[in-house]
Amino acid sequence: MKLTRRQLAAALAAGTAAAQAPSLAIPAPDAELQAARDRVKANAARLAALPVPMAVEPAFQFKP
Amino acid sequence: MAEPAPNLFFATIPELNEQLLSRKISSVELARAFSARLAELGPRYNALALSLTQQAVHKAEGADKEIKRGRSRGPLQGIPYGVKDLISFAGQPTTWGAPPYAAQVFDYDATVITRLAAVGAVLIGKLSTVELAGGGGYRYASASLQGPGKNPWDPSKWSGGSSSGPAAAVAAGLVPFALGSETSGSIVTPASYCGVTALRPTYGLVSRHGAMALSWTLDKLGPFARSAEDCGLILQVIAGADGDDPGSAGRSFYYTPQYGRPVRGMVAGYAPIDFSAWADPAARPALADALGILNQSGIQLKDTKLPDFPYGSLISTVIGAEGASIFEPLLTSGRVNELIDQAQIAGLKANLDIPAIAYLKAMRVRRQIQDAFRLLFSNVDVLVAPGRLSPATPIDQSLDQDRPGPAPSDPGMTALIAAANLAGLPALVLPCGFAGNLPVALQLVGAPFTENQLLAIGREFQSRTDWHRRRPPGV
Repeated sequence: MKLTRRQLAAALAAGTAAAQAPSLAIPAPDAELQAARDRVKANAARLAALPVPMAVEPAFQFKP
Repeated sequence: MAEPAPNLFFATIPELNEQLLSRKISSVELARAFSARLAELGPRYNALALSLTQQAVHKAEGADKEIKRGRSRGPLQGIPYGVKDLISFAGQPTTWGAPPYAAQVFDYDATVITRLAAVGAVLIGKLSTVELAGGGGYRYASASLQGPGKNPWDPSKWSGGSSSGPAAAVAAGLVPFALGSETSGSIVTPASYCGVTALRPTYGLVSRHGAMALSWTLDKLGPFARSAEDCGLILQVIAGADGDDPGSAGRSFYYTPQYGRPVRGMVAGYAPIDFSAWADPAARPALADALGILNQSGIQLKDTKLPDFPYGSLISTVIGAEGASIFEPLLTSGRVNELIDQAQIAGLKANLDIPAIAYLKAMRVRRQIQDAFRLLFSNVDVLVAPGRLSPATPIDQSLDQDRPGPAPSDPGMTALIAAANLAGLPALVLPCGFAGNLPVALQLVGAPFTENQLLAIGREFQSRTDWHRRRPPGV
């Protein structure tokens, strides 16, 4: 799976243009984990801010 | 019989079928020739996970006997193929591309392999994948047991992921077709980078039983092949209801181009800014020409916008939450640390923190996305966008690297891969030219279960172009 998270972030957040960076250094594992947790929190916050009518049910079905 | 002609390695399924039925070549000869080629050239592209020559020859002998007796099982009878190494083949390693699963062996075949075996297709090898299909979010192409997938058009460039092996093997003529998987981009990306035709089916049309689960509500299996027609022939075999796949749509697929609606008069929605500003400048001429071909085919192009949703956050949350549940034993045992890519290790661990309410919110918003696409497809027949915005990237480049230059303020359809996967929509990738020495492709996205319509457009496009017949240098 090629998740284009950086590309999507750039696409969806206007004005977040960045000049081309040289190859990024590999973050230390602790920093890497913290960064990943921060992304999880940011995604959850973004979804929490979305208004969804109460009648909308999740998009999966239980088929007995 | 003489050695197979080099053209045979790049022949379509109907061309190979004609050779077999006219007894110009046997299935055993095809299996031996492709197996030898896969074993010789597969490692050059880090595309080969496991050679299955012995089993393939045995299966091909059976196909030859049936052909000799005049028993036809359809156009795939006696044709060799490969599968991504997250699809199980009984008694042989299925590694999921990941060190913790390097010795994993299942005792059953995936449904897609069973279906292909029933029509006489011949499995000759397992093909490389990014570890765990990249579910934790990997940073480098090297995140695979086979090493970084190398692009047959330029081995210093990536073949794309996570279906790296299937795309590279088809592009290099190592197999006539292959099966890969997509959760979000894993068919579209490598097909675009390697210049091969590929189809991501509607969610639920093809059984995932026996394939590694990354996201129950997003995973799809689909073919990489030489043409849109080949994709249709393969899909007809692998699609269908399967009680062993809880996500099965319970529907079959019949490839019926003769009964399809004429391409002339169809309406294709597109975002002009994708082609004029988002696409890599080197890719723009090929992409513009491709739009021109669609137009010449009588397809009306209509400026269209994607429904406005935070697709990136949504798909990350769905994959993250489902993947964390699926790989909970890997995470809690600590074996997650044996994975190759540090970003993937961190991503998988962090996904344990996704709140239930965030996942459920994402799934509720998916319902709204489905409704929004239903409305969109009342105005257009298909959506068309670049397969990828740039050609294949250097093999050692971080996948986190931002695109060069300022980003346009209008997102166009740059989120189409995530959006269409969230909505379960089918996509067809069509090679449409080159940026320098690297392939460029279009993706066509349709409403659910409109694969025949996508394939009809693909056939029309490929009747007017020969990009899908081009071969990488040196193979």
